[in-house]
Amino acid sequence: MSRPAHPHAMAPKTPGKTRTAPPQIPASWWSTSRMRAYLAFDATGFVYLLVGFLAIRLVWALGSGQGAYDSALGALENPIYIVWNVFALLCVIGVGVRFFRLFPKAQPARLGPAKPPPGPVIHAGLYLAWIGITVLLSAILAGGLFA
Amino acid sequence: MKTFLLKVEPVIWLLFGQGILIGTILLTAWLLVIGILIPLGVVPSDALAYERALRLATANLLFLPIGKLLLLAIMALPLWKGAHHIRSLLVDFGGGERDPAVASLLYLIATAGSVAAVMAVIRL
Amino acid sequence: MREVTKTFVLTRFDPDQDEAPRTQEYKVPVREDWKVLDAINFIKDEIDPSVSHRWSCRMAVCGSCGMMVNGEPKLTCKTALSDYGDRVEIEPLANFPIVRDLVVELEGFMDKFKSVKPWIVRAKQKAAEEGTYRQSTEELSAFKQFSMCINCMLCYSACPVVANEPEFIGPAAIALGHRYNMDSRDEGASERNQRFREEGTVFSCSYANECSEVCPKDVDPAAAVNQAKFNAVIDWAKGLVMPKGGS
Repeated sequence: MSRPAHPHAMAPKTPGKTRTAPPQIPASWWSTSRMRAYLAFDATGFVYLLVGFLAIRLVWALGSGQGAYDSALGALENPIYIVWNVFALLCVIGVGVRFFRLFPKAQPARLGPAKPPPGPVIHAGLYLAWIGITVLLSAILAGGLFA
Repeated sequence: MKTFLLKVEPVIWLLFGQGILIGTILLTAWLLVIGILIPLGVVPSDALAYERALRLATANLLFLPIGKLLLLAIMALPLWKGAHHIRSLLVDFGGGERDPAVASLLYLIATAGSVAAVMAVIRL
Repeated sequence: MREVTKTFVLTRFDPDQDEAPRTQEYKVPVREDWKVLDAINFIKDEIDPSVSHRWSCRMAVCGSCGMMVNGEPKLTCKTALSDYGDRVEIEPLANFPIVRDLVVELEGFMDKFKSVKPWIVRAKQKAAEEGTYRQSTEELSAFKQFSMCINCMLCYSACPVVANEPEFIGPAAIALGHRYNMDSRDEGASERNQRFREEGTVFSCSYANECSEVCPKDVDPAAAVNQAKFNAVIDWAKGLVMPKGGS
C-alpha cells in the first residue's frame, strides 16, 4: 500500500541497464505518531507567523497613540482572540518541548578550542532559561516588577 | 532564484533558529499575560495601560534599548520560524519542485513583516 | 519450538513483465525466534524461488537486507517477527527506484555518497617511514558514532525530504561527510563544507529526526546533519570575515 514519491527520488545520474519501477512512499507516511508530531511541529509555523503579525499590530498601535493602543488591547478581550491565544500558547510550549529535546545533539562536538557542555546540561539550561525568562517577563508585563 | 536562496540560506537558518529559540522563550510570557491573563481579567488591564506600556517599550538598560530590542525579537523572529517551517511542511507534502517559488514568497512575507516590525519600534 | 502461520504480503515486480509493482501473498509457518529475513528466505527457498531480495550477513553488519516492514524501514535480519501480527507487509525500501521485487536501485545513493568525499583527505600523504597518524581517545570520540554507519539506507527511506527533493544527498552521506570533517587526521573539511553549502545538502534537512529513529546502528544521522549545518553556518560566517579563509 504505497503512493508515489518524487519520480526522480534517489535516481542514479546515469540510468541502469534495466527498467525500474518509480520510487514509492508508504501510504501511512504521515500517520505514524512520530511523523504526526513532526508535522504538527512544522505546522506551528502558521501559528508563529500569525502571532508575529498580531504582535506587530499591537506594537504599531502603541506607536500610534493612546486611542489606537487601547482599542488594540481591548480587542484581545474578544473570546475568539482568547481561544486563539490559548491555542497559540499551547503550540509554543509544544515547540519548546520538542525543539529543546532536539537542540543539544545538534551542537558540534567541538567548535575550534571550545567544547559545548554535555547534552543533558544544555537541555536543563534551556529549560532553566525558558522558565526563568517566562517568570521574569510575566512579572514585568503583569505589573509585578517595574510597576 | 535557487542560487539566490542558496546564498542566503545560512542567514535564513540563523533567523529561523533564533525564531524557535528566542521566539519560543519570549512568546510564552507574551501570550500568557497579554493574550490570556489580561483579557480574562486575572491581571488588571492597567498593568499594560498606555503610559506604562510605552515606558516599558522604550526602557533602556545602560545604553541598550532593551524594550525595543525585545519587542523586535517578539515581532520579527517568529515570522522566520513560521516561514521556514511552512516551507518544509509544503516540501513534505510533495512540494519539492515548487519549493524555490514557495520559499521565496514565504521569506518575502517574513522580510516585509520584519521591516514593519523595525518601523513599529522606530515609531515608539 | 512453537510454530504459527503468518501471511506475508510481498511486493513483486518483474521489469520484463510487470507494468507496475504488484503484491503476492505467502503463508509461512513461522518459528517464534525467527527474524523477518528468515521468513523471506523461507519463501524463496521453499515456496517461490522467483522472489528476489538482498541479504548477506544476517547479523546487522552488511547493511543489505533493508526493507519496508509494515510501512517502516527495517533491517530485516534484526527485526523479530514476534513483534508483528498475523499479516506482515514487506516492500522494497521507500524512496528508491525498484529494480525487482524487494531489490532497489543503489547507484543513486552511491552518486550522492561519493560527492562528500567519504575518505581521509590529506594535502600531502605521510611517507610510510614517517609512521602512522596518531589520534587520542577524545579525538576519536568526536566522530566515532558517525563512523558506525553500515550504509543500509534505511534513513533514506524514512526521510520526508529524500521523498520530495531528488537533489538532496540525504542523511547517511551528510553524516559520513561530517564524520570525516570531525576526524583529526583529515584535512578536507573546507572542500566538504563547500559541498555542504551547495543545493540539496544540509539546509534541505528539516530535522524530522526520522533518520535517527530508524537507524539500526544508533548512528544518529540527524545529529550529524544538524551539526554539519551548524558548522556550515560558521564556515559561511568565517568566509564573510576572511573572504578566502575559513576551514
